[in-house]
Amino acid sequence: MWSDTILIVFISICTAFLGEGLTWVLVYRTEKYQKLKTEVEKQSKKLERRKEIHGDSLDKSVKKKIERDEEKLKNNNRDLSLVKMKSMFATGFAFTALLSMFNSIFDGRVVAQLPFTPISWIQGLSHRNLAGDDFTDCSFIFLYILCTMSIRQNIQKLLGFAPSRAASKQGGGLFGPTPGQFK
Amino acid sequence: MATKTSTIERNANGSVKSAPLSDICSRALTAKSEWDKDEFLDVIYWSRQVFGIILGIIWGIIPLKGFLGLVLFAGISCGVVYLYAINFQMVDEEAYGGAWELVKEGFMTSFAGFLVTWIIFYTGLHYDTIMAAKTTT
Repeated sequence: MWSDTILIVFISICTAFLGEGLTWVLVYRTEKYQKLKTEVEKQSKKLERRKEIHGDSLDKSVKKKIERDEEKLKNNNRDLSLVKMKSMFATGFAFTALLSMFNSIFDGRVVAQLPFTPISWIQGLSHRNLAGDDFTDCSFIFLYILCTMSIRQNIQKLLGFAPSRAASKQGGGLFGPTPGQFK
Repeated sequence: MATKTSTIERNANGSVKSAPLSDICSRALTAKSEWDKDEFLDVIYWSRQVFGIILGIIWGIIPLKGFLGLVLFAGISCGVVYLYAINFQMVDEEAYGGAWELVKEGFMTSFAGFLVTWIIFYTGLHYDTIMAAKTTT
């Protein structure tokens, strides 16, 4: 039983590298991306620092400044996601093709035994294409997704492709109440 | 465990940070060290990944089963990080946006890593026993 599981881990390591490699070719190495990324990171850090210092300040000019910075950051973030979009489509297609190939190889095969019974909305995934109703049987797709979740993110972080904490924090705030809080 | 953590941290911090790994490791193992915010979060992130994999292997060897294994992992993982950061390193949790930010740093990734190793070791080591138990029931 080791062979199937180890093979899946290996597959997901390969696809993670493939995905990152593809993104590197299409996005990370381009000048536009690098420029935008440094810009976003610089602005996020600046904004964070400014917010820390003037957090409770009621000064109108400070608020205006923060607001303007936020707007600038928002625009840059949007440009950054647009640049990334191109590779997302490419990797999306490549991965769908690869996944359907692996799916057909492992079709109906129990690749592992789960030490727990998954909750009902995960059972659809963990028991996909498997016969019988023993929910501790694990399908290829469930193990593959779990592997990818841990491996891909760690590889991104190792290679330094993951967005910095300051940027993702400020970026996440765009959809929250932050942008409008001074209005 | 300390040596394992260090090999991974080298890669992690080597590419992003200028501080040498040996320095980061010795600070990570010394109580009340001085930390840069990102540096400390990186230490937590990578130790957590290694910790998750080690727990997964242990759970698989025992073998622990059911919901208990999941709850125990979540509890131990969060508890250890919290105690390490607040009681051992004595960091100011407010500077990191509250204890929650520290506790959730890298949690999902380590959880996925934990599940993978748990499932692989559980299946690999106990396959015959599991199958025998299934056929008798």
